[in-house]
Amino acid sequence: MSAGHEDSGFVARRFVVAEFATPEALLAGTRKVREGGYKDVDTHTPIPIHGLEAALGLGRPKIPTIVLCGAIAGICIAYSMIYFCNVIDFPINVANRPMHSPPANIPITFELAVLLAGGSSFFGFFTLAGLPKPYHPIFESEQFGRAAIDAFFLSVELPVGADADRALADVRAAGAASAELVHESER
Amino acid sequence: MAAPNLSHDPLGELPLIEGTQTDQTINDSLLTHVLRGAGKGWWMLFGCALSMLGLLVIAISWTLYKGIGVWGNNIPVGWAFGIINFVWWIGIGHAGTLISAILLLFQQKWRTSINRFAEAMTLFAVICALLFPLLHTGRPWFAAYWLMPYPSVQRIWPQFKSPLTWDVFAVSTYFTISLLFWFLGLVPDLAALRETTKSKTKRFIYGLFAMGWRGSGRHWAEYKWAYLLLAGLSTPLVLSVHTIVSFDFATSVIPGWHTTIFPPYFVAGAVFSGFAMVMTWMIPARHFLGLKHVVTMKHLENMNKIMLVTGMMVGYGYLMEHFIAWYSGNPYEMGQFFLTRWHGPMRWIFRTMMFCNVVVPQIFWLKRFRTSIPVMWVAAILINVGMWCERFNIVVTSLHRDFLPSSWKDYAPTWVDLSLFIGTIGLFSTLFLLFLKFVPAVALTEVKELRHELAEHDVVAGETHA
Repeated sequence: MSAGHEDSGFVARRFVVAEFATPEALLAGTRKVREGGYKDVDTHTPIPIHGLEAALGLGRPKIPTIVLCGAIAGICIAYSMIYFCNVIDFPINVANRPMHSPPANIPITFELAVLLAGGSSFFGFFTLAGLPKPYHPIFESEQFGRAAIDAFFLSVELPVGADADRALADVRAAGAASAELVHESER
Repeated sequence: MAAPNLSHDPLGELPLIEGTQTDQTINDSLLTHVLRGAGKGWWMLFGCALSMLGLLVIAISWTLYKGIGVWGNNIPVGWAFGIINFVWWIGIGHAGTLISAILLLFQQKWRTSINRFAEAMTLFAVICALLFPLLHTGRPWFAAYWLMPYPSVQRIWPQFKSPLTWDVFAVSTYFTISLLFWFLGLVPDLAALRETTKSKTKRFIYGLFAMGWRGSGRHWAEYKWAYLLLAGLSTPLVLSVHTIVSFDFATSVIPGWHTTIFPPYFVAGAVFSGFAMVMTWMIPARHFLGLKHVVTMKHLENMNKIMLVTGMMVGYGYLMEHFIAWYSGNPYEMGQFFLTRWHGPMRWIFRTMMFCNVVVPQIFWLKRFRTSIPVMWVAAILINVGMWCERFNIVVTSLHRDFLPSSWKDYAPTWVDLSLFIGTIGLFSTLFLLFLKFVPAVALTEVKELRHELAEHDVVAGETHA
């Protein structure tokens, strides 16, 4: 059944890739397919679609927490850096002003908080998304390129041994305009 | 009521997207300028930009070889072109962040067509700006431990109570965050480009930068938050950057610098000059790149309105500077504002500034001028000039007449100063022309999203499509 070569131990991952005519049809279809008991369901759209998180059954996004941690780390690093440099390691007495002067520390503390928060937003996203990932089996589909342009796709990863024909029929029944089976290529 | 185009927008009668568009037509029309070969006009402009860039290389080499003694600044005018151009370029960058971040948070739909363009300007303007303080240190190769807390064997650290070190952190953070924000927004568009191009090489290169984006719903869910939070972080960041730049002046005691209105007045001026620069480039670009259906008259009119508002804030800043100088009773402050600025040797720069920044934007009260392309283009260029003159006034005019008449000295730039300035315009233009050639100038994905939103809105409003 699988397109893999048994001798190399490679088992190709299989995906059902289905196109839906409109974002609304995709939303309804996603819900139906998930209710049908399929676990690894994903959607592929050129634009973010309102309500997809719920349809895919995703939990709370993790990015806000990551960003908050980044901001707090930035504040701590900046303030302790300034304190260490200007109070502990290399104090300079300028007209007997205090070595530790909180108002003067605010700008750099703020900037470093923004830098680390923004950095954790960016790198946090790519880490969570598992990108960059130049190859994904779903790119094997000829039609799939249009998911970046104007088409709305649903993909279901089939577990090893699952019946592909049944999955194709189920996806079509959920409202897909077309559906095909793609195999990961061995490389 | 038939609505053949997507004109439905609660803010006004002018459409944000013109004509009947689908995702496919938007995709193709916005990517044409990237996919087709470079035209004659592009090569001509690129040639000009490159020759100006050559001038920059010569000026930098000469500065590094001889030292900054080849610049025109000398005591009492210790700061001149280096700082004027730094502040001017940083200010230009601010429009990009304002459009992409603040207008996103305020859910201004019209930002989508111009944000990518303006964000790219931010990046390139900040690169130009960063050159000046680096060269101003005289020995940029030592700047690492002068500016950054670099643990060298000498065990000295920067003085973090100085606004100049705040500046280092502010500007480098600003550049980094702008770059990340710009690139994150670009990823879905690069994926669209990867799938649209017919060329294998281009497909490979755009595919590389698209990071394997496949529009996954799981990715979008986190992406939206990552993008929104970057916007949220950029908003206080952009306000802080020019505030900190203004602290370089405001925390000193020079008459003309020592004033509390500087932070808000600098930020308003930055947005004012940034929008003027966006207009200067956007008006020809929308014509030559075929972007008129997404950068409509409504966008241009809105930008003119922002220029009018920020121009008046800047005008208020000028007024308050004069008022506080008089109200302080300080003869040096009064001398600076009422004698030196209006009647001193640099009076022409001051008067040009007043004309360009205070008088010129007033024409935008009239809709006829707000919607006239030649008028707004000329006005935008005049505002660029005016804002450069403003920085000249703040930096040089304040310094060349300070407390003791015996220390007064006039200032004139040298050929190196002028070449560095012209050269950075060349650097900016080179980078910008490359951007227009290789990267979608309009945020494709966001325009598609806007189209869907507007179409839904039309349906909800009970209007039928023709």
